[in-house]
Amino acid sequence: MQTIRNFCIIAHIDHGKSTLADRLIQRCGGVADRQFRDQLLDTMELERERGITIKSNTITLTYTAGDGQTYTLNLIDTPGHVDFSHEVRRSLMACEGAVLLVDATQGVEAQTVANVYLALEQDLEILPVINKIDMPAADADRVLEQIDADLGLDPFETLQVSAKEGTGIDELLETLVAKLPPPQGDSGAPLKALIFDAEYNAYRGVVLLVRVFEGTLRPGQMMRLMHNGAEYEVEEVGLVKLEREKQGELSAGAVGYVISGIKAVADIDIGDTITEVSRPAAEPLAGYVEAKPVVFSSIFPVSSDEYEELGKALDKLKLNDAALTFQKDSSSALGFGYRCGFLGMLHLDVVQERLSREWDLSLLLTAPSVEFHVTTADGKEHVVENPAEYPDPAAIEQVKEPYIKGSILMPDRYLGTVMELLLEKRGADTQFHYLAVGRVEVTSELPLTEVLFDFYDRLKTITQGYGSFDYELMDYRATDLVKVDILVNAERVDALAMLVHRDKARARAIHACKQLEKHIPRQNFKIAIQGAIGRDIIARRTVNAYRKDVTAKCYGGDISRKRKLLEKQKEGKKRARAFGNVEVPQEAFLAVLRSDPDDK
Amino acid sequence: MTNRLAPPGLYIHVPFCARVCPYCDFAVQTGGPRRRGDFIRLLLREIGLWSRLLRGEGSAPDRSAGQGSHQAVPSWRSEQPFDTIYLGGGTPSSLSPEVLEEILAALHGSLPIAPEVDVTLEANPEDVNTGNLRSWQRLGITTLSLGIQSFDPDALSFLGRSHTPEKAGAALRGALESSFETVSLDLIFALPGQSPMRWEADLRRAIEYGPDHISCYELTVHEGTRFARLKERGELVELAEDDKAELFLLTHRLMAENGYHAYEVSSFARGPNHRSRHNRKYWDHTAYLGFGPSAHSFDGVSRRWWNERRLPAWEAGLQRVPGASSGLGTGASGRFGQSPIAGSEILAPADLVLESLALGLRTTEGVDLERLRDLYGIDVEGENGALVASLRRDDLLVDTSPASLLVPTLRGLAVADALARSFEIPPATAS
Ligand SMILES: Nc1nc2c(ncn2[C@@H]2O[C@H](COP(=O)(O)OP(=O)(O)OP(=O)(O)O)[C@@H](O)[C@H]2O)c(=O)[nH]1
Ligand code: SF4
Ligand SMILES: [Mg+2]
Repeated sequence: MQTIRNFCIIAHIDHGKSTLADRLIQRCGGVADRQFRDQLLDTMELERERGITIKSNTITLTYTAGDGQTYTLNLIDTPGHVDFSHEVRRSLMACEGAVLLVDATQGVEAQTVANVYLALEQDLEILPVINKIDMPAADADRVLEQIDADLGLDPFETLQVSAKEGTGIDELLETLVAKLPPPQGDSGAPLKALIFDAEYNAYRGVVLLVRVFEGTLRPGQMMRLMHNGAEYEVEEVGLVKLEREKQGELSAGAVGYVISGIKAVADIDIGDTITEVSRPAAEPLAGYVEAKPVVFSSIFPVSSDEYEELGKALDKLKLNDAALTFQKDSSSALGFGYRCGFLGMLHLDVVQERLSREWDLSLLLTAPSVEFHVTTADGKEHVVENPAEYPDPAAIEQVKEPYIKGSILMPDRYLGTVMELLLEKRGADTQFHYLAVGRVEVTSELPLTEVLFDFYDRLKTITQGYGSFDYELMDYRATDLVKVDILVNAERVDALAMLVHRDKARARAIHACKQLEKHIPRQNFKIAIQGAIGRDIIARRTVNAYRKDVTAKCYGGDISRKRKLLEKQKEGKKRARAFGNVEVPQEAFLAVLRSDPDDK
Repeated sequence: MTNRLAPPGLYIHVPFCARVCPYCDFAVQTGGPRRRGDFIRLLLREIGLWSRLLRGEGSAPDRSAGQGSHQAVPSWRSEQPFDTIYLGGGTPSSLSPEVLEEILAALHGSLPIAPEVDVTLEANPEDVNTGNLRSWQRLGITTLSLGIQSFDPDALSFLGRSHTPEKAGAALRGALESSFETVSLDLIFALPGQSPMRWEADLRRAIEYGPDHISCYELTVHEGTRFARLKERGELVELAEDDKAELFLLTHRLMAENGYHAYEVSSFARGPNHRSRHNRKYWDHTAYLGFGPSAHSFDGVSRRWWNERRLPAWEAGLQRVPGASSGLGTGASGRFGQSPIAGSEILAPADLVLESLALGLRTTEGVDLERLRDLYGIDVEGENGALVASLRRDDLLVDTSPASLLVPTLRGLAVADALARSFEIPPATAS
């Protein structure tokens, strides 16, 4: 056990975690040269395409150190984006140490700070490492100052590497084995193993990733999940190298996988503790808090016969993505679908893209919403995140919306424009303080809704990429909320309704009407598109009736061609959804959700 | 059933043009004398095969030759003589009068042709001269259809036509001075950037000559054409829908003012006797028999079949048809076939109804739902009562006609495809 090191790599987005993982893997001979590719651990197509890590990834490496000892390194690469911070939290729980990367050109950013606090919460040993020192714009001295001032970590213990060029990797490995503590625990004690990840495998069922804290896991053992009580027989255990590597056992301190005939996603909870049935531990491992979704949207299949398929797909996604929640939903216009909860807009985006890509589903999404706390005149409290369930305004006493505490790290020259942005986003109690000469941290209390929609993009733009942002949920505060309905030919389209602050209602309604006007094809008759609060119309657009839709010529006797074309066009109509007699195509729904820069 | 009792029509597809226009998606190609000679020889063979078939000689449909369910088993149910012959293409006027005579003689000699047959020849203005005009009349051509397309020099060059406005005018004048029953001309409008004024001037010029019939086709960019490629590259920008609609309405207004009655979306005639008798057969499910590559045929009841589209495949099919005793089966495109026929289908009642709606709503005669119910056992009217009422209210269908007769208004004609699509076609009730 003294030769095991369990650590994760944490950093702000894009600071080079996955690239550093590549170097460590290569240095430890974890991959044959011909199998190697950049960001090796980012295996999802979406991750590779976008160049970001979405899921944590684990790999076991063997390293022979300068002292002649051979060490087992369990490395976990984590995602940097704030939406996926639960992945980081979960990975940290399986480790004793963390390598904290800081980009030498960007310095300490908001997620750097947030991740340090997460690691400290778990009482991990943190090893600060400056990356990208090969870059011309690298400024290691400045970053060292920030590591000292912003993070309170020791600049003298900070290493400098270039993950890209491989410089400083040996020293990093040596420091790793020297400074990070080995795991503790008694392999003879009653079993306690933490499930920190799981993935679904078509042939093997659910494959659990576990960190054994106490005792030993062996094939043949009867195991119990302590939170939900279910029992299974352990079929196989092993290490996660590039491929799974079967082992006779996993004992205290080890990180590895367990296969035990678990069939369904819904049967397990990430963060649960495994123990043995014959000799159960007294209590489960503590501290795991499940990530709670903050954004909600309903997903409907464009064609209603894909509803079942959608359910299956969500089940499978959920296996690798414990933060995703969903339950059945139905809309008078769209039929059956699922109300889903997400950690943020990137998370929503990723789920939607995986559903359409990996399961080939065409989907409609309703406007994302946060959870509101509504008190009605009868004194009852309601949690509402679905516009469809919003009570009659006449009966509402008070509405509260979630607020976050946001923190922005940036050069002080952008202070003015950032303050303006915060004002526009209804920021309260905005303050700033200098971290160093020319560098400020701005904090502000903001409605979560305002942060979810287009906040990052605009912050990035106005700070020319130098501003970084992190937030945590704070509390609920009174707000002036209204429900904006969208009407197509006087018919309310429930799936397009949204809950917004009164001050933003008009702009959002106009945006929705404009997008619908652009994307609803002309039909036999004029189509009125309206945005309304109750009976008040606040936005209005019109799609004119079509005026020309007839082919000039029928190809001699080839009437079959004409008929087949008509049949195809009729078929196309089925991919739209009808409201009254108006066909609203999928693109129209999606366009309403997109923010449009012209609207600002 | 259907129009089995109406006299059928004959169509001959001549697949040759001097050059291929950038908007054309017909089965055409360029071809020298040898190719043309081969084509004529095989065309005569195809006519001969059908002649024997119609006389009940030869093994009518050659089932053994077909493959699986896709057999084209031509059958001919009409007992009437053909009363229209349409020489189309392509550019049939580029065939010499002698060759045309040979074709017509073969038709007359081997198929039942009505004495008052209407014979249409599609002609390129460049082929029109006094000698040809005289020969064509001698051959019994009754309708001359001139592919003029435009009198606007810019439009002609954009359309890749090699004749000049002067040549077009001279051809038209010459044709009108001869004694064809009907002289018709084709025009194309809604060219990129075309203003209403410019189109009006073009159309007025055509009207001034006083032809008996004018077809005004909106430019359509068909897949696979040169224009389609230009469009994809952004080098050709079609007019917006509203502009097209404006030109369409302008066309119809101008034609009406000048005594041309619109009887179909793109067709205008100075009197009922100048309407195309042949085209009408396509529109109301009358029987027609087509010869030559890509030609389609319909038996007047429910079966439609079509020839190989490409000339070589059609030729191969005919070359492989063994001697006199054989019939026609399915050929397989690209392989050695035993027949020039590429495919066939049997139209279900719902197919026939959809076609009837699509075609009928393109004409000012409209479509009679009661007749469709009697013919096909499908009650369109019952299923679409509310729709019909709303189309009448929205001035897309004429209000005055009997309830079951759907006649499009001018605005309705402009969106006839959309009208046809909006109908729900219920299943046939066994009757
Ligand atoms: N020049 C230079 N570029 C580097 C270095 N390390 C990483 N990069 C580049 O920085 C970008 C981001 O690298 P990743 O390894 O994907 O970063 P990450 O931290 O895993 O990103 P997320 O997982 O999305 O948070 C890539 O384009 C890398 O090639 C380095 O040492 N030098
Ligand atoms: S002349 Fe007619 S058939 Fe020939 S290429 Fe031009 S448009 Fe096509
Ligand atoms: Mg990464």
